[in-house]
Amino acid sequence: MSSSLHLSQIRKWFLQSPPAEWAVQHVRELLLGAMRQGAVPQHVAFVMDGNRRFARSHQIEPIEGHNLGFEALAKILEVCYKIGVKVVTIYAFSIENFKRTKYEVDALMDMAKVKLSQLAQHGELLERYGARMEFLGQKEMVRPDVLDAIENAIKMTSGNSRAVLNICAPYTSRDEITTAIRNTVVDYTKPIQNSTKRPFSESHIARNIRARQLGTVTEGDEDAHNDFARLDDEEWNYTPSNPESKAAFDRIVSIATENIRSSQEDDVSFANSFGRKAGCLILERLKNPSLDEDEKKEAVTATLGYISSTAFAELLSLAERIQDWSPQPDLGSSASTTLYLSSSDPPSAPAAPPVNYPDPETITADVLTAHTFTGAHTPPLDLLIRTSGVERLSDFMLWQCHETTEIVFLECMWPEFDLWHFMPVLLEWQWRRRKESQEQRKRGRSKLD
Amino acid sequence: MARRKPAPRARKSTPLRTMLKSNLHLLIYTLIHAIFGLYVRLRMAYHAIYDRLLAVLYYHHRTPDLIRNDVKALSRLPEHLSVVLTLHDNGDRDAALEELVNDVGELSAWCASAGIPLLSVYERTGILKSYIPQTHTAITRTLHAYFNPTPPSLPPSLSIRSPSHPSYSPPPSHPSSPSTPPIDADVPAPEAPHLNLLLLSATDGRNTIVDLTKTLADMSQRGKISPSDIGAELVDAEISESVMGEPDLLVVFGPRVVLEGYPPWQVRLTEIFHVPDNSEGVGYQVFLRALHRYAKAQMRFGR
Repeated sequence: MSSSLHLSQIRKWFLQSPPAEWAVQHVRELLLGAMRQGAVPQHVAFVMDGNRRFARSHQIEPIEGHNLGFEALAKILEVCYKIGVKVVTIYAFSIENFKRTKYEVDALMDMAKVKLSQLAQHGELLERYGARMEFLGQKEMVRPDVLDAIENAIKMTSGNSRAVLNICAPYTSRDEITTAIRNTVVDYTKPIQNSTKRPFSESHIARNIRARQLGTVTEGDEDAHNDFARLDDEEWNYTPSNPESKAAFDRIVSIATENIRSSQEDDVSFANSFGRKAGCLILERLKNPSLDEDEKKEAVTATLGYISSTAFAELLSLAERIQDWSPQPDLGSSASTTLYLSSSDPPSAPAAPPVNYPDPETITADVLTAHTFTGAHTPPLDLLIRTSGVERLSDFMLWQCHETTEIVFLECMWPEFDLWHFMPVLLEWQWRRRKESQEQRKRGRSKLD
Repeated sequence: MARRKPAPRARKSTPLRTMLKSNLHLLIYTLIHAIFGLYVRLRMAYHAIYDRLLAVLYYHHRTPDLIRNDVKALSRLPEHLSVVLTLHDNGDRDAALEELVNDVGELSAWCASAGIPLLSVYERTGILKSYIPQTHTAITRTLHAYFNPTPPSLPPSLSIRSPSHPSYSPPPSHPSSPSTPPIDADVPAPEAPHLNLLLLSATDGRNTIVDLTKTLADMSQRGKISPSDIGAELVDAEISESVMGEPDLLVVFGPRVVLEGYPPWQVRLTEIFHVPDNSEGVGYQVFLRALHRYAKAQMRFGR
């Protein structure tokens, strides 16, 4: 025991001597430079697990373990950025971690505050490698003073564009996916704003089609269209005051709807939306004392396209039964238009134009990816490394890592994790890429033959 | 690969110096990879021998009792075991399919013997989903092969489900129906265990979440829900209902851990097991090691 301690001290002394340090430094540089010659993962994620266990096994305070963990992180970040990794994502704090003792959470937060500003400072790691800091997760869950430190760090590094450091805190992947779903739904519940209003309206086109289908009627057709157009814009406020009138009016509407439907080849929605308006229009004609019976019939035919004489007789008698109809101003005159427009009632809700929403069927996995915390422009996760021998994802990067990502579980604790642990993983990743490309080339060649 | 861009504050470096440096890097890179390639091959060979040895030491001999004996000492067993299988489609689709059905049959028999009630099989293409009745027949045959030599234990009944298909479990057609009285009337016939098999494919992963989002967006557009109603509990309830809950243990039978599109929502806390450099595919020793690992038990050589 004592001899091993002695040995390790000698080793430490030796490694810290200037010539040894110089040599180690150069070997590292050379290795990292060599690694850059092969394929390099663009996005690497780390689950920094094992700080507490490391502290326990070395009989130091848990927070000291976290401190050492941070040192390890700084070293590994340097390695990553040096060999050309674009995005590093680290799992710093889970939403579940709030369940730890208040003492530990507070200590962690205090540490985060100090370390964040340290990382982001000018001339420090992030600036040296042009890395931007991003926070993924529910930032509002942390203490306000820590949040300030976070915002500050983000602001200080926002100008860097060569690399990204994603810090997941307080984060869980399920929360991320849920947030992505929710934000997608919010996006798809926003009506489409037609910035450039098209000069064609749906109702106008529908009316035109109707006019062509009702080719048998030529006279009064034009009038009817204008009337519909007017009805479209203005609210007809005829509400029957007694049950008898109501029954009669409902019947008129149903006859009108039925007629429109039969001439529109069962375009039910069109018939239903125009039935009531057509009913009002017909009633207006029928109640007009200046028209005789033939003229009334012609007018009704013009509105509905076709009306059988029995139906027309029924309409007439129904109109008789409505007593509370106040004669509307003549529809044809321009004076009436102004009268209508001056009416104080603004269009009520049902008359509001239908809202256009984006089609939910256009939602794809890419849309959801764009709504995740990592967003659409982060390169796909190539490598996910978890230390401390726990072989679980623990709610981290689920959406990002479940396809082609290589997931590596390592036995060492996070504070022990350094270049020499990272190197074999990286080499193996490069080795596999090399083998894959060789196989592809071989297959390409055999296809050519 | 991409040449190193000169750092802005680098010393004035001549082109010759840069070239030499990058040549040196390339040399070291090639050297390291030559050595590493050798190391990986040695490691693979070592693993292959080790795995082979374990496979010989632990063999099930198609006997449920032996399997039961192997897992007897374990402190806990997964309620829901999930596996990732790969269809080795090298041009011969029928052979690949047969191999897959065979693997699923073996796995089902091991699970039924060990007493794991739910097995979910993830295979990216989902080819088995279109042959559910045939798969059922094939697996039932395997189960009979395992359970027949030991008359007191009935072959377990099997039902196969996949998220888009209803559960398939035809009534057993073999003679051991309740109408035949048990030979030994004093001992109540042990109740046949039941195994649920769930077939998963790539469409049960992201696509399910996308479909859920579509439905929610549609409902939100029609004013039936407000986006603030959408929480992790709702999503979890819907996804668990339509696909499955969280598996306890996920065994990847490939040489390394790549999930190939496995349902992301459900793997949150699942223990993921794989045998490094596994070259044997679906082997009993891999299955057994996974169970030992799950129970945090050491596996010693020999029984």
